[in-house]
Amino acid sequence: MSEAPPAVGVASVVGTVVADAFRQEWGRITAALIHQTGDWDLAEECAQEAFAQALRRWPRDGVPDRPGAWLMTVARNGAIDRLRRSSIYRAKVEELAVMASRETGTSDPDRGADDSGVPDERLRLIFTCCHPALAMEARVALTLRTLTGLSTAEIARAFLVPEATMAKRLVRAKHKIAHARIPYRIPSASALPQRVPGVLAVLYLVFNEGYSASAGDDLIRRDLCDRAVALTQVLAELLPEEPEAKGLLALMLFHRARQAARVNDRGDLVRMEDQDRTRWDHAQIELARWYLEYAVAARRPGQYQIQAAIAGCHAAAPTAEATDWPRIAWLYQHLADLTGSPVVELNRAVAVAMADGPAAGLALLQRLEADGALAGYYLLPATRADFMRRLGRNEEAASAYEEAAALAGTGPERRFLNAQLAKVRSQHT
Amino acid sequence: MLIHTGAPDLAEAWDDEAWAALRSWLDETIGSGVGIEGGPLGLDADATTVKVRDGQLIVTDGPYAETKEQIAGYDVIECPSLEEAVRWAGRHPHSWMGAVEVRALAGGAPAVHLPEPGAGKTRYMMLVCTDPAAGPREYASMEPVDPWVAEMDGRGIRLFGSELEPPSAARTVRVRDKHAIVTDGPFAETKEQIAGFDVLECGDLDEAIEVAAKHPMARVGLLEVRPFRRLGED
Repeated sequence: MSEAPPAVGVASVVGTVVADAFRQEWGRITAALIHQTGDWDLAEECAQEAFAQALRRWPRDGVPDRPGAWLMTVARNGAIDRLRRSSIYRAKVEELAVMASRETGTSDPDRGADDSGVPDERLRLIFTCCHPALAMEARVALTLRTLTGLSTAEIARAFLVPEATMAKRLVRAKHKIAHARIPYRIPSASALPQRVPGVLAVLYLVFNEGYSASAGDDLIRRDLCDRAVALTQVLAELLPEEPEAKGLLALMLFHRARQAARVNDRGDLVRMEDQDRTRWDHAQIELARWYLEYAVAARRPGQYQIQAAIAGCHAAAPTAEATDWPRIAWLYQHLADLTGSPVVELNRAVAVAMADGPAAGLALLQRLEADGALAGYYLLPATRADFMRRLGRNEEAASAYEEAAALAGTGPERRFLNAQLAKVRSQHT
Repeated sequence: MLIHTGAPDLAEAWDDEAWAALRSWLDETIGSGVGIEGGPLGLDADATTVKVRDGQLIVTDGPYAETKEQIAGYDVIECPSLEEAVRWAGRHPHSWMGAVEVRALAGGAPAVHLPEPGAGKTRYMMLVCTDPAAGPREYASMEPVDPWVAEMDGRGIRLFGSELEPPSAARTVRVRDKHAIVTDGPFAETKEQIAGFDVLECGDLDEAIEVAAKHPMARVGLLEVRPFRRLGED
C-alpha cells in the first residue's frame, strides 16, 4: 500500500464517487444509527466522519465493492467507539455490536461487508422528522439535515435565515423529540393515512422553495429541488401502497423537466406559452408519466395526482396552442372540490379563460376577488391584467399590472410584469 | 393547585439561593402535611397542542397560548383556605423569579400522591384549555368527561387530574422586592384559559396525542400535553 498522495485525477474521480455515495447513503446511515443509538447528534457526527474517512482512504485503497456497506460499517464502528467512552451507554454498545455482526457479518469495512441485510430505517426517520408536533419550519430543516445531509449553513442559506437561527431551530427540534418522546417509528396502519399528507407537504414545500425561489437566486435552491425529488422517490418506494407519494413525485418531475426553459439567459421568467419546448427534458416527462399512471391505477385520487395530471397535460402539448385546456379546467374543478383552496380557484379561472375565453375566466375571477381570500397575492391582479389585456381593455390591464408589480416579491416576476405593463401602455397610446 | 411560571430562560437564573429556598419550601410543605404532589415541567418549546375540528385531528407545536411567563412546574397542596394557599405560593421561589398562580381544584377534589414513573414511560401534564372561538352553546353541548376518565384510568394512563375553579377565582402571586403582590385572575391574560388538568403516563408522544384527542374538550377546546422535566435534562 503506497503512502504517496494519489494523482489529482484519481482524487477527483474518487471525490465524485464519494459525492454520489453521500447523496445515496447519508440518509440510510443516519436513519440506522438513530434507530440503534437514539442519539441524533451522534448519528450525524459518525456519518460525517465516515464520509471524511472515505475521502481520505478511497483514493489510496481504491473504492470498495459496496461503498454503502463500507460507509455504514465505518459509521457504526465510530458510534461504538464514541459510546464506549461514555459508560452509561454500555448496553447500547453491545446491542450495536450484535447488530453489526448480524447484518454485515463483520465489523471490518474492508472485508467485504454486505449491506443486503441492513434494514432501511429511512421511513422511520422521515416520519419522525415530519412529526406534526414539530413546527413546519423545524420539520423542513430536520428533514434536510438528517435525511439529505445538507449542512446547517446550507439550509440557512436556502431559507435566507442566519446560520445561528437555523442551528437553534435544529437543536430545538431535537430537544423536543427527546424531551417530549416523539417516537422513532413508522405510524401504525390506522394512523398512516393521517400522517402521510404531512410528510408529503414537507417534501413539496422543500421542492417549491427550490423551484419558485421566493427571493434571490442561488444554486442551492436548485439543489433543494433535486433533494426533494430524491426523497420523494425513496418515500414512493418505501410506501408502495400510497398513490399520493407517486403522484407528488410525478408532479415534481413534470415541473423539473421544464426547469431549463423557465428562465432566459438574462434570468427573466419565461411564461409556459413562450417556453422553448424542445428544451424540456422529455425523458423526465416520460418518467413522470410512468409514476402518474402507476399512481392513478390505485384508483384513490388525491391532490398531488390531480396536480400531476394537470402538469402532464401541459407537458403533452407540442405547442402552447395545442394545450388541452378544457381537460385542464375540468381537472382544476376536481382539485378545487377536493381542496377548497382559493389559489386552485384562481388557476381554474385561468384554465377556463383559455378554454372558453377571457370573459368566462373574468367572471370566475371576480367571484374570487369579492371573496377576499387572496387579497395581497400578486397573481390575483396579474391574472386580471392578463384577462383585461386579452379583452382589449388596456387601461384596466395597465392599472392591474401596476398593482401586481407592486405586490410581486422577486426580480424575475416583477421584471415580467413591468414588461407586460410597458406593452399594454404602448398599445393603449 | 399552584402553577409555577417564569421566563423561558429561567433555568439559567436558578442560583444556590433559589435552590435552597425550593428545598426548604418542599421540606416545610411536606413536613406540615400540606404538600401532596408536584413536579417540574418541560418548557413551552416541548409542549404540543391537540384539537379535533370537523373530525380532523389537528396537532401543533407549542403551548395552548403564547405567554411571556411560561409554565415551569406545579404543586398540588391541601389547605383549608385559598388565603393559606396564597401564603404558601408567596414563599415558593417562582413567586419572585416569575409568578405562581393559585387555583382551587373544582369540588375540592382529593389530591393524590403519585408513584415514580414506570419504566420506559413518559409522564405528561395535560392541560385542558378553553378555545375562545367556541361559544357557550358549544361548551354546553359537550359530551361528559366521565367515560374518558374511566377509560384512561382503566388503561393506567391517567394518574390524577381535576377540573379547576374558573380563572376568575384564581389568584396570582408575584414577590418583588420582598413584597408579595397578589392579583385576581390567572398568570397570563390570554383568551385561552386553563380549565383543568390531568397527569398522564404514556409510552410516547403519539400515545399522549391519541389520549388527548379522545378527551371531549378536544372538539370544543384545546389540550396541551407537555412532558415532565426529567432531572439532568438540558
